[in-house]
Amino acid sequence: MKFPPFGLPFRSQSASTAPAPRTTLAAAMEQSRYRLMVTAAVVTTVFATIGVKLVAATLFSQGGEPRQHHALELDSTTTNRADIVDRNGNLLATSLVTQSLYADPKLISRPEEAARKLVSALPELDYKEVYGKLSGDKRFVWLKRNLTPKQQYAVHRLGVPGISFEREERRFYPAGNLTSHVVGFTGVDNNGLAGLEQGFSKRLNEDPATPLQLSIDLRLQHVLRKELTATIQEFSAIGAAGIVYDVRTGEVMAMTSLPDFDPQDPTGLNPDTLFNRATLGVYEMGSTFKIFNSALALDSGKIRVSDTFDAVHPIKIGRFTINDYHSLHRALTVAEVFQHSSNLGSVRMVQLIGIAAQRAFMAKMGFMRPTALELPENGWPLAPNPWREVNSMTISFGHGISVSPMHTVAAAASVINGGVFHPPTILRRQPGAEIPGEQVVSRQTSDMMRRMFRFVVADGTGKSAGVKGYVVGGKTGTADKQKGRHYQKNSRMSSFLGAFPMHDPRYIVYVLVDEPKATAKTYGYATGGWVAAPAVGRIIKQIGPLLDVPTVDENAPEILNATFLNAAGSTNWAQQAPNAPSSAAPPPPKGSTVASFPTPAKPR
Amino acid sequence: MVAVLSPLGSGGLEPQRSQLTLGTKVRLINWGLVLLVAIITAVGVALLFSAAGGHWKPWAQPQLVRAIPGFVLMLTIALIDVRHLMKSAYIIFFLVLCLLIAVELMGRIGMGAQRWIDLGFFQLQPSELMKPALTLALARYFHGITLDQIGRPLLLIPPLLLVFTPVAFVLMQPNLGTSLLLIMGSGAMFFAAGVRIWKFLLVIGGGLGAIPVAWEFLHDYQKQRIYTFLDPETDPLGAGYNILQSKIALGSGGLFGKGFMSGSQSQLMFLPEKHTDFIFVVLAEEFGMAGAVALLALYLILLIYGWVIALSCRSQFARLVAVGMTTQFFLYVIVNVSMVMGLIPVVGIPLPLVSYGGSAMMTLMIGVGLLLSMSVHREVRIPKSGVTDL
Repeated sequence: MKFPPFGLPFRSQSASTAPAPRTTLAAAMEQSRYRLMVTAAVVTTVFATIGVKLVAATLFSQGGEPRQHHALELDSTTTNRADIVDRNGNLLATSLVTQSLYADPKLISRPEEAARKLVSALPELDYKEVYGKLSGDKRFVWLKRNLTPKQQYAVHRLGVPGISFEREERRFYPAGNLTSHVVGFTGVDNNGLAGLEQGFSKRLNEDPATPLQLSIDLRLQHVLRKELTATIQEFSAIGAAGIVYDVRTGEVMAMTSLPDFDPQDPTGLNPDTLFNRATLGVYEMGSTFKIFNSALALDSGKIRVSDTFDAVHPIKIGRFTINDYHSLHRALTVAEVFQHSSNLGSVRMVQLIGIAAQRAFMAKMGFMRPTALELPENGWPLAPNPWREVNSMTISFGHGISVSPMHTVAAAASVINGGVFHPPTILRRQPGAEIPGEQVVSRQTSDMMRRMFRFVVADGTGKSAGVKGYVVGGKTGTADKQKGRHYQKNSRMSSFLGAFPMHDPRYIVYVLVDEPKATAKTYGYATGGWVAAPAVGRIIKQIGPLLDVPTVDENAPEILNATFLNAAGSTNWAQQAPNAPSSAAPPPPKGSTVASFPTPAKPR
Repeated sequence: MVAVLSPLGSGGLEPQRSQLTLGTKVRLINWGLVLLVAIITAVGVALLFSAAGGHWKPWAQPQLVRAIPGFVLMLTIALIDVRHLMKSAYIIFFLVLCLLIAVELMGRIGMGAQRWIDLGFFQLQPSELMKPALTLALARYFHGITLDQIGRPLLLIPPLLLVFTPVAFVLMQPNLGTSLLLIMGSGAMFFAAGVRIWKFLLVIGGGLGAIPVAWEFLHDYQKQRIYTFLDPETDPLGAGYNILQSKIALGSGGLFGKGFMSGSQSQLMFLPEKHTDFIFVVLAEEFGMAGAVALLALYLILLIYGWVIALSCRSQFARLVAVGMTTQFFLYVIVNVSMVMGLIPVVGIPLPLVSYGGSAMMTLMIGVGLLLSMSVHREVRIPKSGVTDL
């Protein structure tokens, strides 16, 4: 007799005490009861295991994507020009061997028949043209460049005498438009004509076996281009530029200028598409320049963040009147000048600093010469010479000096990264290699500038760039475009320079939109805060996880310690009163440069 | 309140509830379990609301609308006498099997790959309905034989046929996930009924041995899923994409998540199928570990309800039905969560009551309805020979 493995004790006991049918029923019930407990125990164990795994997956893995190394394996020695790859090894440009067809007309006895046969094999050729070439007097004519192996096979099968193939190489760009302004393109003879292909043409030809590795990350490039395209569409803009920048190393992680082009076939296009707005275009940056004006003021030691300035009375100089876009009709602290992007406050700040110091500072920021970026498309800034008082005033709020977006980003990086200016590069810096840099502002200034950046997004013109958990900071910019000698009221450049995370900045995301038109959704505004800031927010939201930037609680004490600033210029978040005292400050007497200036400047 | 929320529900012990009035039955319904199901459903609707970027459409609203007939169905089933269920167990099984074969044939003959019957407000998948039907049929069979008889291999042939006939048709669809769920759920009932341990070992051993053979019969996409599972990074942009993005989202949630409607992986377009099979990721990203563990805890409480009901049943039939339904539920949860975390290959199993989809929700509501019915009628004893005294 077989005994069930688990039901045995009960069975043997009850068999003698109860009638048979009841016993078997009870035994079955007892058996199932026992087995049920076992099942429950197993299931609970599995559940607990999954729970533990879940805790591990959510808590102990950083949300980063594993780095991929799937560069196409090509035998580089067979071609004469090196590949270009992104920072993760993804192929951006490569050379493939092709064959080009030529003929020696002297060897062709019946050009009519030969031309007819050739056109039948290569239908894209024109019979008359081929016949003309074959019946000429030359000893060498190109018939078609860069045939595919299939086309070559078809021509071979014709058996026409007097034609032959020449081995050639052709550049291919697997990423297409995505990196067109970074990589550039080459001509038929494989010489670079734009972008890195031009800038590194010699290097690519001299060392074909080693791929040229860029600091660009194809994934970020994709996100940037996607969001810029969407922004152009939404605001019917004529173009846009964007940069993602590593503030600690000076590496350009992504760079896009729209409209762009297909590097495979760049000819015959609108020249506008070949123009790189991110590096070659120089523009009056507008309010974004207040980053540098504020840094200059704070770094001078003469102005503190809580000092207040008259932002009520317009400033007249020569035939110009300087005014505020949205005046608050009261005196503003340095923090508020930055927050509300006050032109008047900016001018009054620089008046205290002096013209010479301003000019020297702008030179330190790299605004007097092209950037160190390795692209041939590297714009010369347009700085005034001589640098007069009126220039000094307008430059304080970003007019009267034109620089490229790359200039702006590289300089802004130095202002928030602890004060070290790193020359921007588009080549990958090898881990461990020394990064060149020069201290341009003090650590204290940099610390305060981080708070000012954060203040603009936390409670200022850049709110829509905020992404929860990434402690975004930044500065908006809107500049009317100059056509001829006049500023146009309704054609402008709207930009936003965002950085994150502000308690320990790692990346700048910069977006510039060329001639955005206001939409109903933006209540008729087409300013940087309405156009570019939301795009920067969307980009940060997507690239943050790709860049392994951990999200934090933005109101945690340790974050506020590093990022808090209020309108009064106080960094003490714990004692923040609901109403900052400065908001009640009375309008200053007309013409006073400094409404209240409590203590004399402390030299340091 | 405590009494209402205890796994046994309200009501004192009444011997032989052979003839319960409707009012008594309603009172005896385990309202704690109903509340638990409602909470989990509400969590699902909230997540679907978030997955659509803060909109009721296209997912949250239909899900909510479908939940209402679902609850009505569940409570209706809860009131059906367990003896009626037992009496008609084989008939129900047979009808569902016919439906299954019918859609299989229709699918083959001219309606393309359609494997469901369109009822207008939702699509009925016979393979889903087979889960409760098979549970009822198996429970009835094992109720009718003694422990000694279970030991006889010959008597195990009918229940095995009950399992593998529908499984064969579901496999032909092809739907590997549902077939495996049917087999594993039935396995638990075989185990609870007292089938000898060594037979399970034999079957498991045989199953492992058959893997190389079965591999040949798998469709290419199924093979691909297994390859992808073994190394998702071989194809990060193709087949491995979903699972990689899913892991990123889980990792980026942290302790308390990014907040309702702020998960970047799921709010943006990184994560496909976020509203169906991968909805757990939305939860884990937005509410972090705390939210994910909380939902798992809700499921565990539901399972505990199921087991306590099973243990309290006076008839083998009711107990086995309770075990069967509880196990099915457990399998849904465990397979879905493991899949999302990349612990097992991707199979199309939804997260019960939370994932978007009508057919699965109906099946689960029917399942919980059966569980409730077992709970209401737990004191009913049924003789081995079947039901005669109705």
